[in-house]
Amino acid sequence: MRPGYIWAVFGKEWSDIRSNRLLLGAVVLPAVIFAAIPTGLVAFIQGHELDPTQLDQIKAFVQQFPNLSPKLATQGFIVTNFMAYFLLIPAMVPMALATQSVIGEKQARSLEPQLATPVEVPELLAGKTIAAALPAVLATWGVYIAYGLVNGWIAEPALTRLVFSTVWITAMATLVPLICLFSVLLGIVVSSRVSDARTAQQIGGFVVLPIIGVAVAQFFGGQATFTLAQVITGDLVVLGLIGVVLAIGSWAFDRESILTRLG
Amino acid sequence: MIEVRGLAKRFGPVEAVKDLTFTVGDGEIFGLLGPNGAGKTTTVRMLAGLIVPSGGAAAINGQVLGRDSSRIRALTGVLTESPGLHDKLTARQNLAYYGRLYGLRGAALHRAVDRYLGVVGLDGMGDRRVAGFSKGMRQKVAIARALLHEPEVIYLDEPTSGLDPSAAKTVRDFVSTLRNAGRSIVICTHNLDEAERLSDRIGIMRGSLLMVNTPAGLRRHGRTATIRVELAASDGETRRLVEALAPLPFVGAARTEPGGLQVEVGDPRRDNPELVAALVAQGARIIAVSEEAASLEEVYLHLVGETGERDEDAPPSASADGARSAA
Repeated sequence: MRPGYIWAVFGKEWSDIRSNRLLLGAVVLPAVIFAAIPTGLVAFIQGHELDPTQLDQIKAFVQQFPNLSPKLATQGFIVTNFMAYFLLIPAMVPMALATQSVIGEKQARSLEPQLATPVEVPELLAGKTIAAALPAVLATWGVYIAYGLVNGWIAEPALTRLVFSTVWITAMATLVPLICLFSVLLGIVVSSRVSDARTAQQIGGFVVLPIIGVAVAQFFGGQATFTLAQVITGDLVVLGLIGVVLAIGSWAFDRESILTRLG
Repeated sequence: MIEVRGLAKRFGPVEAVKDLTFTVGDGEIFGLLGPNGAGKTTTVRMLAGLIVPSGGAAAINGQVLGRDSSRIRALTGVLTESPGLHDKLTARQNLAYYGRLYGLRGAALHRAVDRYLGVVGLDGMGDRRVAGFSKGMRQKVAIARALLHEPEVIYLDEPTSGLDPSAAKTVRDFVSTLRNAGRSIVICTHNLDEAERLSDRIGIMRGSLLMVNTPAGLRRHGRTATIRVELAASDGETRRLVEALAPLPFVGAARTEPGGLQVEVGDPRRDNPELVAALVAQGARIIAVSEEAASLEEVYLHLVGETGERDEDAPPSASADGARSAA
């Protein structure tokens, strides 16, 4: 693969994304919402005293932070528990960008002129994949950093340390890009079978269900946050899924199939 | 130079193109004429290295199709059936993007973009988004895109589609200059007049090539040429000349008409000198000799039939592939 060609495709896709404010809003808004809800709860708790009877109900969660006061431990639980939802951003946003890109090209019939150039199909797809994944990765990382700093500022620096733990830094560095890649590839494969972006996003939207399932299971299991082993297991599972999508979708990635099926 | 031998393309059970053989020399414009679904777009897609032929072989400037498809794409310019522009980008950004995909970089890229924006008459519009462009302006950007990297071989699918007469003439003139610069050009068109005006040779196809000839050769297809001879002669003298011509071996038929006579000959280039010599020998005073040829439209309709479209054998994916809707 030649970097110059990937860069050219990436540059075009990036210009496309930047010119679509609605799409940019779709990138930033979910990230802000997922961060704003727990931050609001932390701020609320910071301004109020906890009712001892309520503290009893959340004893199991609070005990996971033995070095923190009950109030800070409650805030710590909220802050870390909600972080699982950050994984929804790399699952949702790149899918929307990828399907928009492929189906947009399909409708504009602009794939053929690109395929008539010396660019190789993997280079074309790599440029599109990076362009669709990068905004979500950057948005997740940006909101993650702001989330850690703001909550530490609202309550105590101990919350910042909880957010910037080894587990979550590992998750941000590995799991987030992998989920983005999986989401983009799935978006491209689904887009090759349908003719409008909304249908593609609805079908591809099923990818968020396992993540929501994990987040909900984590809460009801009384676990404050992921362990390093769980993050690495998650990495391996997503890598496996990427392999499956690549295998299923390999037929869709040759020049002739793109022309005859995607137009 | 394009050399095609027995090229074929199947889409499942459907044979979209079969046994295609022709050559296009350097500095030659070859027109591909045919009804919808005749396989013109499929042919261009194969020759441009976009889809893989099911059979046969082709070489583009010595590069073998299949083995050297990537190199073939680098030396080929394709104007696709639909302009296929990126609406959110400006005309300049569209061209710059394709320039990069063709390997142009830096100052060379900017020069090429500026030059071709000028060539198609869009110099002042380069920084406007193409979403707001008219059909003709979009077609101009697509033409500029196909030529940006100075390709040696050019495929133009309906090059003047959507253009006003003046812009169409500009494009035709420019295509002629490309021919003069030694490029091999294939034009797919429904426009018989355009094919006749631009092409050095025309291939009429319907799955396979039904006939290849010069426009003049096609017009004479399947019939003797009718030569009109305008004479300074009385009716009686004209009748005498018809009787004198009738037994000559190269004359199919001869008859009088007001102001002269009509003679059917097999090959005007071979037979006209003999005809004129015979008339002069009979003392005829000739004012003018002209050939009355069939129109290209008549020949086209005779070859492909009045119905045109090739519904019965269009591939299942042909609407996307373009084989059914080939321009």
